[in-house]
Amino acid sequence: MGDNVVVPRNFRLLEELEKFEKGQGDMSVSAGLVDPEDIFLTNWNAAIMGTAGTPFEGRLYSLLIECGPRYPTVPPNVKFTTQINMSCVSSTGVVDMKKLCPGWKYSNDVEHVLNMLRTEMNKSENKRLRQPPEAATY
Amino acid sequence: MAASLPRRIVKETQRLTQEPAPGITATPYEDNLRYFNVLISGPSESCYDGGQFKLELFLPADYPMAPPKVRFLTKIFHPNVDKLGRICLDILKDKWSPALQIRTVLLSIQALLSAPNPDDPLDNTVAELWKTDPDAAHAKATEWTRTYARAAA
Repeated sequence: MGDNVVVPRNFRLLEELEKFEKGQGDMSVSAGLVDPEDIFLTNWNAAIMGTAGTPFEGRLYSLLIECGPRYPTVPPNVKFTTQINMSCVSSTGVVDMKKLCPGWKYSNDVEHVLNMLRTEMNKSENKRLRQPPEAATY
Repeated sequence: MAASLPRRIVKETQRLTQEPAPGITATPYEDNLRYFNVLISGPSESCYDGGQFKLELFLPADYPMAPPKVRFLTKIFHPNVDKLGRICLDILKDKWSPALQIRTVLLSIQALLSAPNPDDPLDNTVAELWKTDPDAAHAKATEWTRTYARAAA
């Protein structure tokens, strides 16, 4: 088949939801809808486990993710609700997506964003930063 | 891009737009010819009578070897439709055959509105009410149709 098959936004997000619902790997990242009746699958809760061997290890971070009408052409809006100190995260918890995922592609998804955040925890510039008390929220 | 759309899909789309099935319209989006905006009228003499239900349908890369993906966007009280509009219908899953078409799928969904199947539920609370108190279930389906599926003027 020669045509360029593009999975439209809603079906893409349904696929993502079903994958998260099945659970995957070591469950170091997880996500689900804030409102299970959100027909446009816009607002998500997510959680990531701090990466082993970093100051983030053993901590569980909660996030809010907003997949807008133009997702996944444009990246989602991502915000930590658990306090964290990282170079790509503002003082209010907002993730700088240009910094986290430069060159965002249509094939990138919520799981990719969460995995990139775990990768970010491994960077030396972030390992050096002092962290807020565990489980403190914004 | 349109030129490389598989002939089967081009053919099906032409038939859908030129000879639409009664009470069903399916229009491909200009920017994605595998993605359809679908409207199904609630069958008369069903709880969904008078309603206009919006759905979306997508033909995945392996269509017609794999079934189309389709779901309701209009809120509907039906034992075989879940809160995200996903539909429990055998031909969308293990009973799919490449001999079926978009048209047959949409006709089957329309038939599912006439004949809900609470024994094969996707939404258990809806199915429970359907079985224990059918009158209340029908009333609720009628009410939701009036509230959420009122035909656009």
